[in-house]
Amino acid sequence: MSATTIDRPVAAKSRLTFGGVVRGEWVKLRSVRSSGLTVLGGALMMLVTGLIFASTVGSDSDGANGVTDPTGITLSGVMFAQLVIGVLGVLVVSNEYSTGMIRSTLTAVPSRTPVLLGKVAVVVGTVFPAMLAVSFTVFLGGQAVMGAAKLPTAAIGDPGVLAALVGSAVTMTGVAVIGVALGSILRSTAGAISTLVVLVFLLPGLGGLLLPSSWRDNALKYLPSRASEAFTSVVPAPGLLGSSAGAVVFAAWVVGPLLLAAVLLRGRDA
Amino acid sequence: MIEVENLTKRYGPKTAVDGLSFTVRPGVVTGFLGPNGAGKSTTMRLLVGLDSPTAGGTKVNGKPYGGHRAPLREIGVLLEARAVHPGRSARDHLLAIGATHGIGAKRVDEVLDVVGLAEVAKRRVGNFSLGMGQRLGIGVALLGDPRTVVLDEPVNGLDPDGIKWIRHLLRDLATEGRTVFVSSHLMSEMAMTAEHLVVVGRGKLVADVPVADLIASTRRGVHVRSPRTSDLVAALQGDGVRITSLGDGVVDVTGLSTEDIGTRALAGGIPLFELTPQRASLEEAYTELTRDAVEYRGTSTREAA
Repeated sequence: MSATTIDRPVAAKSRLTFGGVVRGEWVKLRSVRSSGLTVLGGALMMLVTGLIFASTVGSDSDGANGVTDPTGITLSGVMFAQLVIGVLGVLVVSNEYSTGMIRSTLTAVPSRTPVLLGKVAVVVGTVFPAMLAVSFTVFLGGQAVMGAAKLPTAAIGDPGVLAALVGSAVTMTGVAVIGVALGSILRSTAGAISTLVVLVFLLPGLGGLLLPSSWRDNALKYLPSRASEAFTSVVPAPGLLGSSAGAVVFAAWVVGPLLLAAVLLRGRDA
Repeated sequence: MIEVENLTKRYGPKTAVDGLSFTVRPGVVTGFLGPNGAGKSTTMRLLVGLDSPTAGGTKVNGKPYGGHRAPLREIGVLLEARAVHPGRSARDHLLAIGATHGIGAKRVDEVLDVVGLAEVAKRRVGNFSLGMGQRLGIGVALLGDPRTVVLDEPVNGLDPDGIKWIRHLLRDLATEGRTVFVSSHLMSEMAMTAEHLVVVGRGKLVADVPVADLIASTRRGVHVRSPRTSDLVAALQGDGVRITSLGDGVVDVTGLSTEDIGTRALAGGIPLFELTPQRASLEEAYTELTRDAVEYRGTSTREAA
């Protein structure tokens, strides 16, 4: 057993700052395994999907004629990776509720809103650079694979390619932030992940099956995954929004839930 | 300094805290006592703004908790429920909380040392025993070197060594001039550490008294052992005197001091083998105070005292 008293007062300059909250959130993010695992999982999902698609495309009857969008082929992993990355966003908040850590967190930061913003900051700061690097890697790797198979390829300098690469990283980052918001609103890992899966993955397909065809396409293009397609596709599919409209709609899907999360976080008992 | 004024908290139809008002002063250990479900933990959660009150309010060191620029330096709190991610190490837990206030690794290591967790600082908290988890929680409370320390059931899960340690810690903190507010449902524990008591039952204030006064208010009789109890009873009988036989030549006398009893016995030539004033334990005083305020009582339990 050691000393029983505090010998030295903590330096009087220490006080609560937003920078401090962000640093605290960073310590939390880096010190649990799930963070690294989800980022790694998302990266693998991107790489494996992109490279498999790149090496199997052109092997059907259409041959090289089937390759109309070599960029999109290598980035097709975004569809799956955004879910894994979204889970990271969910866990950053829902973990705190399931373990009780949120009580320590909100006691240190009673104004609460900085906690949510701090979480968004570290999630964006982690996911965006990581996924940007992964997007470039899988793009270059995939083009090399397709080039070796004498299929059409794209280069980073081609029109729309850079936007697609950056846009893919933005999409995954945005979905991670939606995850943060859902985790904070629902306070439950299972509930938030299910909601996220339905929103970004199932709704486009389900909507296609269930909605009346007269307004199906008009409604579905406003879903987050369709909106992000509008600004990440070099060769856009028909029926999507324009790229800037898509960006605005996607941004609304990110900011809207976050605002709701902030309002609820301030008002509810922890 | 903690000021609680007319504090009320309802969860749905249930009133957890009901118009509670009291003040906790610096320099002494103040015990916060009450049966389970009396509203102690709720009051503490309201104190640090985790829940918002239905009515009334609380102030810590003169301001509502959220109004301070460095909340962790004003009040350090250990709440009853665990508040740690099990996958994180003790050191990272403290670093993450400290970082919000610019409290760095140096202070964190110092605190780990104070609470006796320096050797396990890098182990995942999920593998900690209940007692180690409790020490970590106390470490969080001390992290900001706060002027006010609030601990909810701090001895829970601690071994005898740990219990002794926490008693010393609480007294030292109070001696340094801090406000120390400690809850317990165990009177015996409070008897060892607290000088002042705030007693609650069913969310209401039952008593706000110095420990010494509370004990004094619950007087008991005197146990007298003698081979000639019938002569003794005859010698002591009088107005306001109640004598109960306890068997084996022992009687319990109320209404007379030990001096009176000894003098009268001598006058009657009655030998006394034992003359013991029965001090009410704090436990009994507490039981009497909260008898009506116990929320959950086993049906087979006979009333104590």
